[in-house]
Amino acid sequence: MAAAAAPMRVPGMLDANLRVRGRVPYAMDLNVVGMLHAKLLRSPYAHARIVSVDASRARALSGVRAVLTGADLAERDDIYPYYGPIFRDQAALAMDKVRFAGDPVAAVAADDADIAQAALELIDVEYEELPAVFDVDAALAAGAPIVHDEPPRLGQTFADIIVRAEADTNICNHFKLRKGDVERAFAEADHVFENEFTSPPVQHVPMETHNCVAWIDAGIINVTTATQMPFAVRASLAEIFRVSQAKVRITTPTLGGGYGAKTYTKVEPIAALLAQAAGRPVRIHLTREEEFVTITKHGVKIRMKTGVTNDARIVARQSTCWFNTGAYADIGPRLIKNGGYATGGPHDIPNVWVDSYAVYTNLPPAGAFRGYGVSQAAWAYETQMDMIAAQLGWDPLEFRMKNLLEDGQAVMTGEDMFDAHFKELLGSAAERIGWDSAEQPQRTGSKVRAKGLACIIKGTVTPSTSTAAAKLNEDGSLQILSSAVEMGQGAETALSVLAAEGLDLRLDQVSISRPDTDVTPYDQGTSSSRNTYSMGTAVRMAVGDIRTQLLELAAAELEASPDDLELVAGRVQPRGVPDKSIAYGDLVRGSRSGNLLANGVYASKGGLDPETGQGIGSVHWHQAAAAVEVEVDLDTGKIDLLKYHAGVYAGRIVNPVQAELQTEGNIAFGLGQALFEEMIFDGGQLQNGNLGDYMIASMEDMPKEISLGILEHIEANDIHGIGETSLPPAMPAIGNAVYRATGVRITDLPITPEKVLRGLRARAAQESAE
Amino acid sequence: MTAADPSAPSTSPRPVDGEGKISLTLHVNGREEHLRARPHHTLLEVLRNELHLTGAREGCGVGMCGACTVLLDGRPISGCLLPAALAEGHELTTIEGLEGPNGELHPIQEAYVEHTGFQCSYCTPGFILTTKALLEERPDVSRDEAKAYLAGNLCRCGSYVKILDSVMDARDRLRGG
Ligand code: FES
Ligand code: FES
Repeated sequence: MAAAAAPMRVPGMLDANLRVRGRVPYAMDLNVVGMLHAKLLRSPYAHARIVSVDASRARALSGVRAVLTGADLAERDDIYPYYGPIFRDQAALAMDKVRFAGDPVAAVAADDADIAQAALELIDVEYEELPAVFDVDAALAAGAPIVHDEPPRLGQTFADIIVRAEADTNICNHFKLRKGDVERAFAEADHVFENEFTSPPVQHVPMETHNCVAWIDAGIINVTTATQMPFAVRASLAEIFRVSQAKVRITTPTLGGGYGAKTYTKVEPIAALLAQAAGRPVRIHLTREEEFVTITKHGVKIRMKTGVTNDARIVARQSTCWFNTGAYADIGPRLIKNGGYATGGPHDIPNVWVDSYAVYTNLPPAGAFRGYGVSQAAWAYETQMDMIAAQLGWDPLEFRMKNLLEDGQAVMTGEDMFDAHFKELLGSAAERIGWDSAEQPQRTGSKVRAKGLACIIKGTVTPSTSTAAAKLNEDGSLQILSSAVEMGQGAETALSVLAAEGLDLRLDQVSISRPDTDVTPYDQGTSSSRNTYSMGTAVRMAVGDIRTQLLELAAAELEASPDDLELVAGRVQPRGVPDKSIAYGDLVRGSRSGNLLANGVYASKGGLDPETGQGIGSVHWHQAAAAVEVEVDLDTGKIDLLKYHAGVYAGRIVNPVQAELQTEGNIAFGLGQALFEEMIFDGGQLQNGNLGDYMIASMEDMPKEISLGILEHIEANDIHGIGETSLPPAMPAIGNAVYRATGVRITDLPITPEKVLRGLRARAAQESAE
Repeated sequence: MTAADPSAPSTSPRPVDGEGKISLTLHVNGREEHLRARPHHTLLEVLRNELHLTGAREGCGVGMCGACTVLLDGRPISGCLLPAALAEGHELTTIEGLEGPNGELHPIQEAYVEHTGFQCSYCTPGFILTTKALLEERPDVSRDEAKAYLAGNLCRCGSYVKILDSVMDARDRLRGG
C-alpha cells in the first residue's frame, strides 16, 4: 500500500516547539464569550435514597445563571438524561438514589467559579442512607444490597460483547471462555496449583483533569472536550437531547494525558444540559479530588488454577475473575472480556476455562485503564508461573520458554498465533539483565538483590473501525482529516509520517486535522493502542487512493501507462525521467476538481462465540516482556529498582522517539502500580483522593538503569500499537524479583514495605518454629 | 480552590469592589500588570484567568505536582499555593517569558525539543522553569542531583528519562554558550 521506499523516520513530535513554549492549547484553555463556570454538588454517601433537594437558595444567589437537580431532569420528556457505553445506567445527575460517594446530585452554572462554589453550599439535600457494598464478595453474598434495582437499560451495543446482566444480583456481566476439556486435563496433570491474586483500584491521574466547554448555537450542541472518543460522546449527547447526531458537534484539542480515563462520556452531558438551561456557554473543569472519583482502574480478585506435567508443560488453566466495576458499568462489561481471556496468558495451553464477572458495588465507576484488564490478568498468571517454578524447582525462564506460544499454536481464544516473538522478547530481556538461574540473592548488609521476569500477551480491540479522508490541494499540499486524538502519544506525528511517505512528500507538506465531528470522519476512539495501526491503515488507504488518481491524471497527460510512472518528491514522472515530471499541484489544477479527494475505511473483523469465547480475539497480538533487578532492604522493606529492561514487539516502528517515550512511560506507570499505587476506601469514602496522599512515580522512583528492546520486524508489514503493551509485565516482574530476594511472595498488589516486612516476620517465625 | 462566599466581607485591608475584588499590581515577564482579583485567588488563577498566560497549569491544586510552577525572583514556586497578592513586589517569570523577543527558544527549551522531553507536555512548562532555576543555582549539576531537584515535578506520562536527558543537554548548552 505505502511506497516501497525505506520508511521515513522522524524524531520527536512535530509541534514540539509549541509544546515547550506552553502554547499548545488544551480544552481548558478555550474561552468562549459569555462563558459560565459550573460546579457539581456530590453525594457524601456511598448509597442513599435522595429524599429531597432544595436548590431555591442557590437559584436566588446573585451571579447564578442555572441550577439543575436530578428532579429537574427526571420531569422532562424532551431529554433522556442517561449515558454509559453499554448500559445507560448513569444519569447526568442522580435521581432516585446516589450509588457512590461522589455521585453528582446537583449542578450550578454561574458567572465565575467562586459564585458556583458558593451556590453549592446553599443547596439542601436530604438523604436516607442505605446499606452499601464495597467489595465483590459482599456484593455477591446472598441478600446483598442491590446497587441497581431496575434492570439496566441496554444501549445499542458493541459487536464484540455479550451482555449477561443478571436480574436481582449485582452481576453486571459475565464472560465465558471454554477451550478444550479442563476437567480431564486437571485430572491427568501431575501437579495442580490454585491461588488467589488481587489488584486494587488505582487512578489514571492524567495531569489534565476532565474538562469541557459546551454551548448551544443555532440548535447545534457544541462541546469542546478533553476526550479520547469524540464520536462516542457525540452519540451519547444526541441520545440525551433526542436529536440527530448531525446536531451535535464535538471538537477535541490535544489532551494532557488520557490513559483510558478519557474514553466514553463523562462530564459532557451535565455541561451541555447547563448550557441549555442557562442559554450561555458553560465550562466544567474537575478538581483533582473530583477526578479521583470519576473513573478508576478495576480492582480485581482472580482465582487461578493451573495444571502442569512433570516435564513442565502447562496443560490446563481455569480462572475466575471478579472485576469490581463500581457504581456504574461504564465499559466494564466489555473490559471483563479482555481481562478474562487474557488470563490464558502467552502460553500454549490446550485446555482453558474462564469465568469473568463485572460486579456492581458502591465505589466510583471503574472503566478503561491503560492495559484494559490485562495488567490484572498478567499479575495473576505471571506471579503464579514463578510460584509453580519455585515449588517444583524449575528455572522460571526455562519454564516460560517451554510454554510460550509459537506461530501456528492456538491462543486462548482459539485462533492461530502468528508473528510470535515472545521467546525472543523474554530471552533478550533475561540476557540484558544477566539472568542466571543458579544465581543466589546477593546480600550486602541489610540489603539483598535479585532478579525477576515476566512476559505477556495483549489483544487490541477487535472488531474496530477507523476512517480518514485525504485532500490534495492545488499547491500540492496534503491534508488528512482524521479523528485521531493527540494525547501525548504522537498520533499526529505518526499519521503525518504515514501520509507523507505514501505520496513521497515532505512532512511540512502534510497537515493532520484535530477531531471535529462536523468535519472529520468517524473513528471508534483513540484507545487500546490502536491508533497508529487502525487509523494509520485508514490514512494509508486514503493516500493510496490519491496516489492512484495522480498516476491516472499523469498517465493521460504524458500518454503513458500508470504502471510506467513513479512518484518522486511531489511530482509524477516516467520511471527514471525527471525531465518529464509534473508537479502534483499542476495535476490537481489540470483536473479542475479543486482538490483530489479520497477516503480510507479500515474495519477489522473478528469476535468471539458467546458460549465458548472462541473466535478471533484480536486482529494481531501485542507482546511484551520485562526483566528487573531489585534491591530490598530487609530492615525496612523498602524496594529499589536497580535495573529494568522492557521488551516490546512493534512490528514496524513509525516514530522511534515516541516508541521509547511510551515504553519508558509504561515503566513509570508499572512501578507505581507495583509498589505503591492504591485507592484506599473506608466505608466507600476515598481516603487518598489527592496527590498529597496518593503517590504517583516521580523521577526518583525510576529504575537506576533502564534499557529498552523495541523489537522491529519490518518484513511482517504490520504496525503494533505499543502504548500499553509494556505495562502489564512490570508488576509481576517486580513481584517475582522481590520473592527471589526475600522469599516473601506477595499476591495482592501493591508490594508495599509493610507487606514485605510482615512476610519476612512470618517466615522468621516459621523457621524458628521448625 | 477555597470555597469562599464572594459576598462575605473580606479580611483584606484593601478596598474591595462590588465583586469582592481588590486591585493588584504584578510584575510578570518584565511587564507591569494591573488587575483585579479576589483576595483568595491564587497566583495560578490570576495568571490564567486574568492575564491569559496558560502555560502554568493546575495538576493538583495542593502543591504536589509542579504543573503550576512559575519563577518568583528566579526561584520555582507553586502558583496554586501562593495567594496572588503575596506575589506583588516580586519579579515573576512564566514559560511565556522564557522565549526571546522574536520568539526564539531559550536553550533549555531547545534541549527539551531536541530530546522530546515530554509526551502530552502538560507538565513541560513546570519542568522547564524548574530546570532554569536548577541550572542557575548549580550550573554544573550532575544527573543524580538533577533527579533529586526535579522530583517535585510530576509527569504522569512518565517522560522522565528524556526529561533528564534534556536537562543534562541544557546544562551543557548553557555552560558552553
Ligand atoms: S497544581 Fe500546583 S503543585 Fe500541582
Ligand atoms: S508529558 Fe504528560 S504529564 Fe508530563
